Amino acid sequence: MRPYKPKDNVQKKSYYTDRFWVAPRIPEESVEDEVYKADLESLAKAVNYKKAYIMRGQLVIIIDAKDNVATLKHLKEECGYEVLSEMSAIDYLAQDGEFEIFYQLLAMSKRRRIRVKCRIKENEAIESVEPIFRSADWSEREMYDMFGIKVNNHPNLKRILMPEDWVGYPLRKTYPLHGDEAAQWYEVDKIFGKEYRDIIGPEQRDPAYVSTTDTCNFARIHHEVPRCADPNSEPEKIEVFNDDALLTETFDLKKAKIVDRNR
Amino acid sequence: MQQRNRLEPYFENLAFERDDNTMVVNFGPQHPSAHGQLRLILEMEGEQIKKAHPDIGYLHRGMEKMGENMIYNEFLPTTDRMDYIAATANNYAFALAVERLLGIEDKVPRRAKVIRMMLLELNRIISHLFWLATHALDVGAMSVFLYCFREREYAMDLMEDYCGARLTHSAVRIGGVPLDLPPGWLDHLNVYLQKLPDQIKLYEGLLTENRIWRMRLEEVGVIPPEMAKQWACSGIMLRGSGIEYDIRKEEPYELYDEVDFDIPVSDRCDSYGRYLLYMEEMRQSIRILRQLIPMYKETEPELMAHAPEYISAPKEDIMTQNYSLMQHFVLVTQGMRPPVGEVYAPTESPKGELGFFIRSEGEPYAYRMKIRAPSFWHTGILQDLLPGHYLADVVTIIGSTNIVFGEIDR
Amino acid sequence: MAQHPMNSVANAGLPVALTTVDKLVNWGRTNSLWVLTYGLACCAIEMMASGASRYDFDRFGVIFRASPRQADVMIVAGTLTKKHAEFIRRLYDQMAEPKWVISMGSCANTGGMFNTYATVQGVDRVIPVDIYLPGCAPRPETLQYAVMLLQKKLRKRTIFQKQKPKRLV
Repeated sequence: MRPYKPKDNVQKKSYYTDRFWVAPRIPEESVEDEVYKADLESLAKAVNYKKAYIMRGQLVIIIDAKDNVATLKHLKEECGYEVLSEMSAIDYLAQDGEFEIFYQLLAMSKRRRIRVKCRIKENEAIESVEPIFRSADWSEREMYDMFGIKVNNHPNLKRILMPEDWVGYPLRKTYPLHGDEAAQWYEVDKIFGKEYRDIIGPEQRDPAYVSTTDTCNFARIHHEVPRCADPNSEPEKIEVFNDDALLTETFDLKKAKIVDRNR
Repeated sequence: MQQRNRLEPYFENLAFERDDNTMVVNFGPQHPSAHGQLRLILEMEGEQIKKAHPDIGYLHRGMEKMGENMIYNEFLPTTDRMDYIAATANNYAFALAVERLLGIEDKVPRRAKVIRMMLLELNRIISHLFWLATHALDVGAMSVFLYCFREREYAMDLMEDYCGARLTHSAVRIGGVPLDLPPGWLDHLNVYLQKLPDQIKLYEGLLTENRIWRMRLEEVGVIPPEMAKQWACSGIMLRGSGIEYDIRKEEPYELYDEVDFDIPVSDRCDSYGRYLLYMEEMRQSIRILRQLIPMYKETEPELMAHAPEYISAPKEDIMTQNYSLMQHFVLVTQGMRPPVGEVYAPTESPKGELGFFIRSEGEPYAYRMKIRAPSFWHTGILQDLLPGHYLADVVTIIGSTNIVFGEIDR
Repeated sequence: MAQHPMNSVANAGLPVALTTVDKLVNWGRTNSLWVLTYGLACCAIEMMASGASRYDFDRFGVIFRASPRQADVMIVAGTLTKKHAEFIRRLYDQMAEPKWVISMGSCANTGGMFNTYATVQGVDRVIPVDIYLPGCAPRPETLQYAVMLLQKKLRKRTIFQKQKPKRLV
């Protein structure tokens, strides 16, 4: 019987996990810091945030997805979080059918970093924060490219890292690391056409694959051999390179002058 | 004669003459002065750029996906290939993020911290020298390229003496460093540090007051402070716009709060100001390295953090103690299992703010690994920065942003 | 002297004279291999280093050119991604014959450590490769070794021999 493999999450799993293993959690600390407290109080006047805690020294605020523009606008204009240093999404489709989107903000005047998080359903779209932070232009394009999350009112929502005619969204957990069929034949289809798939052959993706007899693709191990040489032939040992070269002196180590490395 | 394939003839000037007297010029993706695989589609009116569309992704290798399918220690060598000019800065940023996730950041021994800082600052010098070499070559100064590469090779020798590799170091491990400095390394470093300031003076003598260099760089690529913040610029792109923010100083990691160094800031906002900052940063790195040499001698010879749950025991323990061997076996075959949670750790790489966001679900594989590469935004800014400039300035601006495509596309 | 009419070029006659010409042409060819810089990733830095002051690639007559029309050899230095594959084929087609390809580094040979959806698993899926150069990233000496091997290969050519069609169309 073929072993069952889950299709909704093809991420590599550990081959062994102890039955009674319970993963420890990083504690979600309450907000004690004065600066963060003031920011939260200020934010509470504008937006109704769900939860706020400190994780490893950075404030995490969980909000509703439709409040994202209002929250970031408030944090930028009132609290001094002027830089959107990072944003992207996490795929929780297999567990909850949702994406988690995070915005990592930096206040340079206060040396504080905040992470604003919200969740959206698979087919929902999120409002663009590009009018507030120009850097979101590219981050949101990357998020669309990698996860297929639609962004409303984005000036130029196109793929950014993958080619325009790519199939699938690579960072989703359903997308295999080695790519789906369209990905594996992408360059052959594009350059030569589908009819050349048989001639060129499938990709060799086994990292441990070594063929000692295959001289068409690689020289024999430890030896240089001519292309497509007979696998049983004696390997050609090359010691001198320019013995057959015209007007060229052969290198002699004894005559060479070795320069001191530290001048 | 080659047989035909499916690729149609390709005209670089997509629409050479249009009704409104503009033309579209395609620049890249394989252009010698684009610092990698940048493709720029420029809409031009005469010599002046009206619109620029940077097109990236030609080096996208799926590193974030790899990070989700590899155990943490396995992923570390992959980070070398991001910003391949300063590989240790990437190794370190990743190691710091994982250490913060595990909560063992304070357990890293002092000697490991000193060695890490030495490697980081040496890498900063390598990276800045490389930047100067290629930037000067793009602008047209061939001899600076040759001089810079000469000095860079000596720094590469030092790196090679320590870790065995010239380019892809993997010299930092999660929880410390793998090796102590080889004998005589500090003397070599000292010799290098004595010679480098004269060489920097040489480059400055060739460039700083050079009329052509100043004409090519001054008032070119002006980034106002507001724009720098909007585009999340970091590193020298930010400090070149008059905003003083260096993560080494503001959110210190390792021993950066113990060493004495300055953060150079320029109000010029143009490429020339950034060039001056690069030169000054190299001097500051030399200053840090000089302070690190006596600090190293005072430390205990311990290199890896003691956290048996996550980090393998020292080699002697593995060879002699049964439990250490078992733990080592589990850590190598299954990988460490960090607690559930997420962490974002920013560091100051030579290019800017390099941060790793890691979401862990308690598995040995990261659930989500997002790499915040500074060059990504420094390329994005081109679409606002280039319009209004002339075609010849494009190369200067790309050069002064110091972008590396390994980390833009990841 | 031969009594019958003879086309010495077609019949590959006149061995003495032509070998000498061959040698002369090959001498010129091997010592002025102009290289199309195909810097893609990390290996490009080592390729630059080998062209720069310490390793000095000009000793071998290797001069980096930015245009495919002026180049004899393409050094594919770095990871080839699926998005880029189309362009490497275009530039290869634009190079004048005879032309050779050195695949530099593990990524160009086999995809290397990037066993992912976005990487071409070996540049030989797209263009024919003459020399595979292992290493990640190969040192400049290794690149020079590869060029010396290529020179050795070129010396075996005769001038009237057309470049055989290679495996990939």
